[in-house]
Amino acid sequence: MNRPVTIDTITERMKEFGTAGQVRKNRIRMKTVPEKIHDAITTSQAMLGFDRLITISTVDNGQTFELLYHLIGSDRIIMSLAIDLPRDNPVTPTVSDLLPSAGIYERQIHDLFGIVFSGNPNMKRIMLNEDWPPEEYPLRKDWKPNPDVFYGGIKGERS
Amino acid sequence: MAVPETGMSRRLMSWARAKSPWITVYNSGACNACDIEIIACLMPRFDVERFGILVKGSPRHADILIVTGHVTLKQASRLRRVFEQMPEPKYVIAMGACGASGGVFHGLYHMMSSVDSVIPIDVYVAGCPPRPDEIINAVVTCLNLMEEDTAHGGKEWRQKKPAPGVDTEGKSCTVAS
Repeated sequence: MNRPVTIDTITERMKEFGTAGQVRKNRIRMKTVPEKIHDAITTSQAMLGFDRLITISTVDNGQTFELLYHLIGSDRIIMSLAIDLPRDNPVTPTVSDLLPSAGIYERQIHDLFGIVFSGNPNMKRIMLNEDWPPEEYPLRKDWKPNPDVFYGGIKGERS
Repeated sequence: MAVPETGMSRRLMSWARAKSPWITVYNSGACNACDIEIIACLMPRFDVERFGILVKGSPRHADILIVTGHVTLKQASRLRRVFEQMPEPKYVIAMGACGASGGVFHGLYHMMSSVDSVIPIDVYVAGCPPRPDEIINAVVTCLNLMEEDTAHGGKEWRQKKPAPGVDTEGKSCTVAS
């Protein structure tokens, strides 16, 4: 890639995945759907040079979970691919086969939000303690600690 | 090695322990500021090795455990295991605001209430983070406590007496000097 990636290039190359918008000078955001995220990342890696994943961030906006895949290439432009997942069945295909560093972010999101990344071979706890009860996802907005539930640690001494 | 019970060898051991306390540092979920201050202690400006204070990697070699930070639920059992591995007599210094009460993290979903709900604490150091001279002062306080304990023949004299009618089962609470 000799010429820097612009919003026009991205709109042209990735028009089947969604519409791109320029958020700031070096930030481009594209909304797509969970079924196409795998192909969208393949395309942006192969054709546009976005070959590094900064992070996957998750937003609980009340109705849905919004996942943002922040990708960066050699010309310092950050592209954020956004997908929406329903609250009642948050399942999305994994991208850890394309971006190996995504696997650890997916485990973290699975731990704290309960989002399932189908196809990730190592979908187990990473952040919370091993005896944390199942079906408790602490970063969901509607989650409150239940005083009757034991959340791990040492019994009877929780704050 | 078995601890000699009486006589010259015991006095020699407690003297040697007070002259050269070995310390282990355990980060139970802190923000690393306390750890950086401990590293500043070891550096030539503060140079704690001139007092014989030596930082060891293993709790099995240490006399004093410095706990930096609040205790997350994940770290609670590990911290207790580290404490149980230390040979007697063992002393614990809780470092900083987090060690005393949880600090800014108090009441979060993944927290123990404080360090002393997991292991008994002998000395608290205030500050966020404490300065290196305060850490050295805490260790010196701990050494004075060690000498007093040797004179009293154990730590029991510092145990807080339960108030009449109050059930304190399962709680070990010591008075910080």
